Amino acid sequence: MSHGDRLPALLTLILLLLPRPNAGFAADSIAPPGFTPLPQGTHALVGARVITRPGTEFNHATVVIRDGRITEIGPDVRPPADARVWDYTGSTIYAGFIDPYVMAGSTNRPVVTSGSEPVTLASGADPRFFGVPGQERDPGATGPGSPIRDITPERRLASTYSPDARLVESLRELGFVAAAFVPHRGIVRGQGVAVSLGETGPAESILRADTAQHVGLAAGPEEGYPKSLMGVIAALRQTWFDARWYHSPAPTTQRRPYNTASVALLPTLTTNNPQPVVVETGSALMGARALQLAAELGWNLQIVSSGQEWRRPDLLENSNVPFIVPIAFPAAPKLPDDDAWDSLSLDQLRQWDWAPENPAVLRRAGIDIALTTYALPDRKEFRRALRSAIDRGLAETDALAALTTQPALLLGLSDRLGVIAVGRPAHLTIVEGSYFDPKAPLQSVWVDGIPYFIQPPAPKAVAAASTNTPAKPKDTDLRRIAAEPRIGRGPLAQPPALLIRNATLWTASDRGILTNTSLFVRNGRIESIGAEPEPLPADTLVIDATGKHVSPGLIDCHSHSMILGSVNEATLPSTAMCRIADVINSETDNIHQQLAGGLTIANLLHGSANPIGGQNAVIKLRDGAGPDALLFKEAPGGIKFALGENVKQANWGERNTTRFPQTRMGVGTFYINRFTAARQYAEAWERWNRSDRSTLSPRRDLELDAIAEIIVGTRLIHCHSYRQDEILAFLRVMESFGVRVATLQHILEGYKVADEIARHGAGASAFSDWWGYKFEVIDAIPYAGSLMHQRGVNVSFNSDSSDHARRLNTEAAKAVKYGGTPEHDALRFVTLNPARQLRIDDRVGSLEPGKDADFVLWSGPPLDSTSVCLETWIEGARYFDRSLEPARANLLETERTALIAKARKTSTKSDAEGPPTPATEGARALFFQRALEHARHLGLVDCQDCDTVNRP
Amino acid sequence: MNPFPRTSRIVASLALALASLPTLAETLCLRGAIVHTVSGPSLTNSGVLIRDGRIVAVGNDALFASADRTVDLPGLHLFPGLIAPTSILGLIEVDSVRATRDTTEVGDFTPDVPAWIAVNPESELIPVARANGYTHAQSIPLGGIVSGQSALIRLDGWTIEDLAENRAAALHLFWPSHSIDTTPKHLSGNPEKWKSPEDQVRDREKRLKEIDEFFHQAEAYARARRAAGLGDAPSLAAEAGAGRPIPTVATNGFTLVPAWEAMLPLLSGSQPLFLHADETAQIRAGIEWALRRKYRPVLAGGRDAARLAPFLSSNQVPVIFEHVFTQPTRDTDPYDVHYSAPARLHVAGVTVALGEGTDRFGASNIRNIPYAGAQAVAFGLSRQEAWRGLTLHPARLLGVAHRLGSIEPGKDATLIAVTGDILDVRATVQHMWIAGRQISLESRHTRLHEKYRNRPRPNP
Repeated sequence: MSHGDRLPALLTLILLLLPRPNAGFAADSIAPPGFTPLPQGTHALVGARVITRPGTEFNHATVVIRDGRITEIGPDVRPPADARVWDYTGSTIYAGFIDPYVMAGSTNRPVVTSGSEPVTLASGADPRFFGVPGQERDPGATGPGSPIRDITPERRLASTYSPDARLVESLRELGFVAAAFVPHRGIVRGQGVAVSLGETGPAESILRADTAQHVGLAAGPEEGYPKSLMGVIAALRQTWFDARWYHSPAPTTQRRPYNTASVALLPTLTTNNPQPVVVETGSALMGARALQLAAELGWNLQIVSSGQEWRRPDLLENSNVPFIVPIAFPAAPKLPDDDAWDSLSLDQLRQWDWAPENPAVLRRAGIDIALTTYALPDRKEFRRALRSAIDRGLAETDALAALTTQPALLLGLSDRLGVIAVGRPAHLTIVEGSYFDPKAPLQSVWVDGIPYFIQPPAPKAVAAASTNTPAKPKDTDLRRIAAEPRIGRGPLAQPPALLIRNATLWTASDRGILTNTSLFVRNGRIESIGAEPEPLPADTLVIDATGKHVSPGLIDCHSHSMILGSVNEATLPSTAMCRIADVINSETDNIHQQLAGGLTIANLLHGSANPIGGQNAVIKLRDGAGPDALLFKEAPGGIKFALGENVKQANWGERNTTRFPQTRMGVGTFYINRFTAARQYAEAWERWNRSDRSTLSPRRDLELDAIAEIIVGTRLIHCHSYRQDEILAFLRVMESFGVRVATLQHILEGYKVADEIARHGAGASAFSDWWGYKFEVIDAIPYAGSLMHQRGVNVSFNSDSSDHARRLNTEAAKAVKYGGTPEHDALRFVTLNPARQLRIDDRVGSLEPGKDADFVLWSGPPLDSTSVCLETWIEGARYFDRSLEPARANLLETERTALIAKARKTSTKSDAEGPPTPATEGARALFFQRALEHARHLGLVDCQDCDTVNRP
Repeated sequence: MNPFPRTSRIVASLALALASLPTLAETLCLRGAIVHTVSGPSLTNSGVLIRDGRIVAVGNDALFASADRTVDLPGLHLFPGLIAPTSILGLIEVDSVRATRDTTEVGDFTPDVPAWIAVNPESELIPVARANGYTHAQSIPLGGIVSGQSALIRLDGWTIEDLAENRAAALHLFWPSHSIDTTPKHLSGNPEKWKSPEDQVRDREKRLKEIDEFFHQAEAYARARRAAGLGDAPSLAAEAGAGRPIPTVATNGFTLVPAWEAMLPLLSGSQPLFLHADETAQIRAGIEWALRRKYRPVLAGGRDAARLAPFLSSNQVPVIFEHVFTQPTRDTDPYDVHYSAPARLHVAGVTVALGEGTDRFGASNIRNIPYAGAQAVAFGLSRQEAWRGLTLHPARLLGVAHRLGSIEPGKDATLIAVTGDILDVRATVQHMWIAGRQISLESRHTRLHEKYRNRPRPNP
């Protein structure tokens, strides 16, 4: 023992057990009889290394504390005569640590990033939605707040805070003197509270109430809307818009419905130092999405790291948003046999190998971080996990800042916490050695000048710990062998100019098929066809395509392949407020696989679970780019509609019989209802915009916004439709609102009303030959595409499947087979025609000078089912090259093999150290949580005609 | 507009030919075609001579001067009728309508469940498969581990008895998955039923023991039956199927048990065992087990079979590959891992037939199996091998290669005439003969096509 002056154990015990109502507030007050008298208030801590703030330290300094405050610090300071002197030679004194994210009293898990989202196919919960029988205006339980039960910003932990002695002590045992307790349940969860971790009552413990508003980017536990990730984002948007509207100026004579949620969100809206919004993102891509939401909704954002940021740190750079970082790292699993080991995916192995490096990755991206014990299967593992993070590149000064100054800043407590300074309350963490050596015992923490001594672990545990903790990890264990996931993704080549010679060009333009022709590309655009510039620019890449064929890049007018989370917000009959653009999955392997089949553009659509679904997103498959960079920015917005069996829940089971509509009659009724409502809504806005605006504006409604855009013609309808009756009825209803439908999707019986479709002017985006799966496809025929084409309908063939999207060229060939569509016309079914349907044909869809250089190099005629896609180019950049594929696969498999060997070794070593503790079991369970971006790797979604969620 | 300008002449000549309906004794000559014998070379400007529903000769026109009737097939390609080696054709009509599904029985061991009695001869899906060249399919009962007896059906006939070429074509064993569900307990959809990986392995071992024990018991039954002097020929199913009386009391003191009776053809070596498995470990375990027990396994499914190509090759286990268009299942797989699997298996010496499988598209999508073959060709398989994978190999695996699967003298005149290579999506099947009889290629699809092609245009 390097210091002699310790409180007797008995006193420690008493200090731990008795409440000390006045500690830190009035150290001179006298406790009533029966309470242990408060200890004397002047201390001198001598001999220690004192780190006053990260990067600034004294060796052998004295810290003087008087009445809970630090009065003097320095190497030459002499202990005052009245001070109790504590010899801390050999120890380190840090500013007391702060955990900014503690969830108390809940079994809540971190926002789950694995698997598919459970979807409850219940009726909606939004009382503003008309048409669900039994839907009450007051759904009960929520009170006058948000109609969504998982949105409860009015919850205040400060109003119910009650210290949990065991939890508080477990935090002190890790060196924490303060923590923010945060609410756990739902989407908008309420406001946290910062407390000190002394043995004081609730009132004295609270350092700051309402520290932040907390948000989880995942569906909550309550029934009803929203149950998809995109629905959650849409609900957040509406909630904050509502709050702004609620607080917008209006004459006192105009009454707004009282809304506790909007009231509670006011602090987040103020321009001066707004209350932070802390978002638990759950995935790498949602981290980037949170940044955009913050910009859109005016959040003072803090992000709770998902641990996955290593996947796309580029999306977070220059954001200036601080991260609260859990350090729950997965452990190598224990698996029963070789086959089980061999079944591990590269991605989960990478996730394991990258995890401890994630805090360093964040720092390298210039992000300020604060560490938290949150999400650890066992909080006691915190220091060991922290050591792993340091071993993998997190600087100790950064780690210290992440425990002190950074969390103090995040909680708005920089004036009181985070540094050791004269005049500040004495919050200290004292370690015999370095905190970053997990074996160095914590001596004490001081909270408001009161010391709390850390009980050394029981002797048994000490023995176990000494054998369990290896002396020093070997360098080989510390080295990451997992590669950066973006390596090997496009663009693979980006020549300033490109000339393809001697090719057979399938132009998809009026020029038809041109043999032995050249194609010249510069700056991403097609510059000329059949004529080479003279002289050829020196840096031109020349490809001799003798014997080969070139077609425009293929376009899929109906895809769900790159969507994060549920494809459907299946709860409400209208989910027009949901946006696929919020949940584009730029990381899925589907992009590469579909590029390999010549696909360059996909129309990502919401599923068909409701008559009015969410808003679509058109993307270019620029593999390697982030979600927003994938967007085809010039493509006009659209929306998914659906008719028939799916929306009337015909195949959802006997329990789903109450949501309106349940019949094709009701589907038509529903559209008239919503379009009428949207028209009235738009008129209300128009009236207000024309007025002097002194009255209250109409409330912005994101569902009606989208429908109103359809009515004015700025949003395109893509309507899943099957039977001729519903098709015609739908076209007529839309005509009566002055709306021309952009595409009828699938449109299996479209051939029966082809003339009517042609006259309306809708495009037909059909399956080539899919049939036999539902009753409403009983009359589906593979001749449909040709029949509609022959009657003047603009026809495309879509995939609605991550498999078919890999071979749309041979899907197009089916129009030749069935009904004799000429080959060049058939190729247009997957190039120019979908481009026209998506209103992007001025940019893509055919090989013509001035258009984007999106094209495919084929080994033979593109409609020949034995031809192979050799190269796929987007805007003059090569994104797929078949000749590189063997090397690519080889590289990935080599990496996986090495990672399996490393994981097996680590797992064996861990087992040799004794039976797994609950903490190890917990960390091993983390190993199997799949990143949301890859949760569907095994093709679980990819629903052709998907109505519910993931029909296997 | 006529969508088939190139073939209108043939249609006309055929209509004339059909006007005088042939009797079976008549000889029919199909000539002027490209004859893909599949077993041997492809012959240009060749023909086939047919008598009594059989192929008498294949070759040059000059041989066929004696034919009673001649059909010219200029420019058309003659192939043997296609055979879908794994399917649920006839057992399902509309997937989402339960009343139309007769695919899946309950129970783990139901070898006595026969498919042939539930094949709907009027199924709209049969003519659709036929329209793209399919003359035969194996319809497989599903459910449990030993699911029952499949039928080889001919896609033509008035009754189930007409359709069933073989009422007990194979016994089907669906090997349990070897994959382990590693979902952590707290994320499990049903935490109460959650099992650790170790427990899952234990459960699997127990399951495999049950399978082994079932076949042990079946063999014990067969031995006892022989000892009772009843031989190996199964009686119950055959008699019930033929409407003959079933013995109701023990014969020679031996009680006939329907389920064990249904196992006899396999145990006596007269019936193949179709072992359905996709994962590497599952395939290895299942095939090793079957070889140990000296059955003749045919691997159906075979998603990961190419990973075990040497093992399958050295044990002469043929594969019905159903996964050309399955997306890669491992994130390290090359994008074309399943496109190229048939070629890799073939190079290793494994026989590869191409099937659609028994999932919910296992009937409606039969017509697209040739394009799985085309994709395999695009990724390295020879055309000849792809054709065999659609015809001759399935015929062999189903024990009917002496009659079906290639164009050779002595075999059934079961043929299709196609405007191009059957692997080419753009090609259309123009004619079909099953055992010498011309078969209609009309279907619900062609009827609706005709009807709506002729819908009068509305007044402008």
